Amino acid sequence: MAENNVILEAKGIYKSFSGVSVLQDVHFSVDRGEVHALMGENGAGKSTLIKIITGVYSKDQGQIYWEGKPVEINNYQDCQKLGVACIYQELSVIPPLTVAQNVFLGREPRKAGKIIDYKKMNQMTQELIDKYEFPLKPTTVVDNLGIGQRQLIEILKGLSQNSKLLIMDEPTASLSGKEAEMLFKIINTLRKQGVSIIYISHRLEEVYMLSDRLTILRDGKNAALLEKHEIIPAKVIETMIGKVVDESSGSKKMLQSKGGDVRLDVRGLTDKTDRFRNISFQVHKGEILGFGGLIGAGRTELVRAIYGIDKPISGEVYLDGEKMVNPSPKKSIDMGIGFVPEDRRNHGFIPLLSTTKNVALTNYDILKKNGLAVSDKDELDMSKRAIQAIDIRPSDPDKQVGVMSGGNQQKVVLGKWLMRDLRLLIVDEPTAGIDVGAKDEIYSILEDLASKGVAVIVVTSDLQELLRVSHRILVMRKGDIVKEFKNEVVTQSMVLSAGQGVTEDKEAAE
Amino acid sequence: MKEMNQTTLRRLISVGLLAILIALFTAMVGAGSGKFLNAENLMAIVRDASVPGIIGVGVTYVIITSGIDLSTGSMIALVGMVMANVYAYTLLPIPVMILTGILAGLLCGFFNGFIVAKLEIPEFIGTLATMSVFRALAYIIAIKDANGVIMSQPMNVSQYAFLGSTIGGSSKGIPYVCVALVIFVVVGQIVLRYTRFGTNLYAVGANKKAATLSGINVERIRMMAFVITGFCTAVGAVFTTARLQSATTALGTDFEFSPIAAAVVGGVALSGGSGDVVGTLIGALFMATLENGVRKLDMNTAYQYVIKGVIIICVVMFDAVYKKRMDRIAKEKGAKEGLE
Repeated sequence: MAENNVILEAKGIYKSFSGVSVLQDVHFSVDRGEVHALMGENGAGKSTLIKIITGVYSKDQGQIYWEGKPVEINNYQDCQKLGVACIYQELSVIPPLTVAQNVFLGREPRKAGKIIDYKKMNQMTQELIDKYEFPLKPTTVVDNLGIGQRQLIEILKGLSQNSKLLIMDEPTASLSGKEAEMLFKIINTLRKQGVSIIYISHRLEEVYMLSDRLTILRDGKNAALLEKHEIIPAKVIETMIGKVVDESSGSKKMLQSKGGDVRLDVRGLTDKTDRFRNISFQVHKGEILGFGGLIGAGRTELVRAIYGIDKPISGEVYLDGEKMVNPSPKKSIDMGIGFVPEDRRNHGFIPLLSTTKNVALTNYDILKKNGLAVSDKDELDMSKRAIQAIDIRPSDPDKQVGVMSGGNQQKVVLGKWLMRDLRLLIVDEPTAGIDVGAKDEIYSILEDLASKGVAVIVVTSDLQELLRVSHRILVMRKGDIVKEFKNEVVTQSMVLSAGQGVTEDKEAAE
Repeated sequence: MKEMNQTTLRRLISVGLLAILIALFTAMVGAGSGKFLNAENLMAIVRDASVPGIIGVGVTYVIITSGIDLSTGSMIALVGMVMANVYAYTLLPIPVMILTGILAGLLCGFFNGFIVAKLEIPEFIGTLATMSVFRALAYIIAIKDANGVIMSQPMNVSQYAFLGSTIGGSSKGIPYVCVALVIFVVVGQIVLRYTRFGTNLYAVGANKKAATLSGINVERIRMMAFVITGFCTAVGAVFTTARLQSATTALGTDFEFSPIAAAVVGGVALSGGSGDVVGTLIGALFMATLENGVRKLDMNTAYQYVIKGVIIICVVMFDAVYKKRMDRIAKEKGAKEGLE
């Protein structure tokens, strides 16, 4: 392709965080009017690359070229000036303002006397809307719009600044099917108008449908650059995971169902806002049930509902045959359900408190009391037992949990549940951001629990982990359970294909 | 079908509340001279609403940026006392005395803005501290007699006192303070709706990060909101002292509460990013009507504070519930209708 057709090029990018290499010699280029998809597993380096392009991180080595000229991007303003706009997942629109006010925020056209020229501003917005065929009106107050339309405003805002390159990071993650279709239509229009798009997504079908080219990153390196006709689902999955498929790397496993009687029975659970629907499954005593699927498939929402945080619109949950009425976290705890949330730092523990206090918080009902006050001695005893059970090193019960390593923090969260008589433990992304050694220890803790008859539900996006710990695997996709793997050999590709909604084909299972 | 947007609905509710209150008192106290519903009494209500309304313009700006200013009551006392000092100890003309008072208000506002926006002290605690500081300063500079006992300083020269009365001076005329109220509300609303500064106030209150990314100087906007509050409060202080024809250290004891209450009742959400000056005006009228009616009913005035408190709790609760509902509707709308 001709040189002058390349709008952005990143050459030989290196980046490491405290000695750990995240990007190694990565090349990435985007042509004018191209939708260039960027894929890779969690931790492959996609977001680091984007953050370097948008000036959030500085690169260790390498050079970025914009329209053929070398450029330095040190902050987001720099990249805006060049004509790059990032459509953030967390929307940054201002709800009380109108569409036009949002699009021209901080750059409103004015008449004499510093009065905003609303007529002109609405007209300018309307021109943009017409040009790119957006289903919006300049004068609508954003408050009245759905999430999808709010996202379109962000895109419009980028376009109003004459952006030539839009970066979309998982743009469909919070959109409904219809909203996503609208977005795809707009992406196609933008492409025709010569706007380039970097499209980051885990959803293969979207990438397949939209992109002109696809760059795949694996372990911080370029794994492949595919032209449109080369984008074949099975091949993409294989490239993302890496070709070396052997048992020791944990990419393949013989599943064996374990466990006794049914412990948890979920019948027809359906979410209020349709993030999961009509979900039925069972977990047995002593079984570790893994939930696979893409981020946003509804797994976290499902386990939150089972634990009683969110109220489902219909469906029932039975624990050991007993129906859970009006579920709440308090009731769940009383009934012997433990929950290790996905967002450890914000939902899992209290950073400023010590291990002792964190462990005690969930267990005040079983701690001995001196009159009305909790016995300090009993509290400390429990903390010591927890530290021993989960092997926290160094074993200082008074240390603030906030300053510990991620692995130790997660152990504290697990430890407080181990002090109880658990019947069911739900863990959501148990080892995100935790080093390999601690991961193994956490797996052993889960396995230990299962061997004692506790039913365990593990939600994880880490395929290796899913295969490593699960006795049985359910895969969710867009709010439905689409696949069950049990008593069979399962590979990472099979799980990924099911989560992507790729039609089952046997070569992927090879 | 076109749905009513949140701002319009909220405006209807505050207007409705005011209408209901007026109807209620009319039914209980009656219409006609000496009763509740007559021109003279309605004018009295507007007059009582004026100072909270004027201060409310600035307070509205601060609350829209998701801030709060608790120090306005003490600021009135301090500004009043500064003017009393100029009045008692200098021969400066009255307009200069007023300007000195306004300058004092601007300084107080600037100080609030500085500690909140520059030093990043949380608004609530920062202005709680200055509320105490300003009141103490008013005591320190208060006019004292030979024994050091604070005395109230009469300021009854007609050049000044006329500001506390009506145009033409008759008891049936329009009070000057009401004219000031109209000017403040009109200008305040235009600035809010038709200037970049106004739009920026909403942006800062609704989403500071997004505002920064749009190139808005968040620190400066927050600071400006406090300075404007200082200015409005100083003007409020001028009219209050002119009406009382004296300045005391106890001035404005209820005035940290009433502008905030007016704003909240009028639809300025404490979470920031919504409401406007006209809403605050309606809220101020509501509060003044309530006070007036309770007085006419010969009820213990303490009740009015109970009623005010209960109303504020209800309104804030409504706003919270309503916001949740709107967020849910936005989500469900997306799920059901797509983008049509």
